[in-house]
Amino acid sequence: MNSTDNLHSIRQAFSDTLIDLAGENLNLYVVSADLKSSLSLSKFASKFRGRFIECGVAENNAAGIAAGLAKSGKTVFLATYACFSPGINWNTIKQSICYNNLPVKIIGSHGGLASADLGATHQMLEDIALMRSLPNMDVFAPADALETAKIIHTVSHSPKPAYIRLVRPSTPNFTNSRSSFTIGHSQILQTGSKITVLGYGPILNSALSLKNKNLEIINCSSIKPLDSKTILSSIKKTSRCIIIEDHQKNGGLGEAVASLILTHNLKSKFIHLAVDDQFGRSAKNYFDLYDLHCIGQKELIRTIKNIL
Amino acid sequence: MKLFSKKPHQLEPLAKQLRLDILNMVYAAHSGHLGGSLSNLDIIISLYYSDIFNFDRDHFVLSAGHTCLSHYAVLASLGKFPKKLLNTYTEINSIIQGHESTDVPGVEFSSGALGQGLSFAAGLALGDKDHHTICLTSDGEHDEGQIWEAIMFANKYHLGNLINIVDCNKFQIDGSTADIMPTDELAAKYLRFGWTVTSVNGHNYHDLHKAIVKAKNSSIYPACIIAHTTLAKGISFMEKDYHYHDIKDMSEDIYLKAKHELDR
Repeated sequence: MNSTDNLHSIRQAFSDTLIDLAGENLNLYVVSADLKSSLSLSKFASKFRGRFIECGVAENNAAGIAAGLAKSGKTVFLATYACFSPGINWNTIKQSICYNNLPVKIIGSHGGLASADLGATHQMLEDIALMRSLPNMDVFAPADALETAKIIHTVSHSPKPAYIRLVRPSTPNFTNSRSSFTIGHSQILQTGSKITVLGYGPILNSALSLKNKNLEIINCSSIKPLDSKTILSSIKKTSRCIIIEDHQKNGGLGEAVASLILTHNLKSKFIHLAVDDQFGRSAKNYFDLYDLHCIGQKELIRTIKNIL
Repeated sequence: MKLFSKKPHQLEPLAKQLRLDILNMVYAAHSGHLGGSLSNLDIIISLYYSDIFNFDRDHFVLSAGHTCLSHYAVLASLGKFPKKLLNTYTEINSIIQGHESTDVPGVEFSSGALGQGLSFAAGLALGDKDHHTICLTSDGEHDEGQIWEAIMFANKYHLGNLINIVDCNKFQIDGSTADIMPTDELAAKYLRFGWTVTSVNGHNYHDLHKAIVKAKNSSIYPACIIAHTTLAKGISFMEKDYHYHDIKDMSEDIYLKAKHELDR
């Protein structure tokens, strides 16, 4: 789909930003669960050895350690795969982090079907649902490497717990490098008047690359808090809404938007392109999985045609 | 010759009063986790009523949050909040909830789901090496795998400022630990995991004091104190009966019988 020359690693952007931040903030710690190299954290670990805490394959303990460190005043990033954190340690996140309201930043890497070859166990399709259901927790998902750096920078200063979903593959940069990231704000990637397209993560590029002028494409990288003002005003204008996400339908962004639409008595056509109560599977290329689960560009084109 | 008579410890009158406070809370609220709160009370008193630690700087983490009644009673006795608030246990607008909560002045960690406190305490000990972190766990919650993850972690990071006191009352909600999930030889297990270990009678203030001082002086290794206690200590007909892990709608007869024993 894209030339590899134009692809950028979201994980690398995360790690590079952390190294920059850790140089200024001597209280910045990373808590790991034996996936340092997979999260591009090897350089951080060797540069800031005393601030890289390795818990081994023990995600519940890692979440508790992160909470305790945060309680002692440290800026803490808990970083591993999303399928393990929050996949395994959800209750520790709920109680030790959220209920105690400690500002741990949870990095859930390898989100979605985009972790193609790893198969169903590692394709985390439920993380947004798990995390947006937790009181005190903010939820973010950067669209590309550019936005990853901005989000990591912003959340490092936030006094609240936060979950940040990253994906494994390198992806094109398509957000505006000059725009800033603000918690609770979305970004209109393209203005249009016929159909509102909402989503988060690199999958949004499948809409943007269509260059269809009917589409108003909104990057909802701040999933919680959600920018209801921008979303509602766009849907009011278009009366047609497509939500696309690399996640289960249940508990995803689509349900959050549906709730917004109903609560505000808006009339709108509504189509939710997401994984429909199924597990993923291995594939060489995640775009094939997107097509298999009807969340790829082909399905999006069909949907746009049908909704107009 | 009075071989077996010992002078009552100066803290025993306080313990007697706090046992009554706990009984009154459970009776007034029509529910509450009495058994573990009475088994760990003497441990919490030993920690707070000594000059070994200063909990304005050192940290206390109650991992088994359902036993908060004893912690709340001790904090109230120290004037952390008005004692009359104890009477509002589990009421909708009260800070005195059914499980340990940071809403209560003096509480550093909200808990309830078992097995999480030791990880939190280890993180806190790692982040604040200038002070001690004392965690109080129960033997029953050692069923949780997370406890063992934390035990390994504390050894790896040489958390000499971390102390875990295990309230070994040998019961959990559905029966004895021997029946539900044996947690025997805990001391040996902690030793093999690289901790220093002391076993004591968890109702003897002299022994507890000595063990806590020894644990504090362990500067390289995390320290574990296995405190052997009695479930529902102080109320003879409830002791060692797992049905008193928690009580719903305690009858007036039972209450008066228990109160009579504690008043003696």
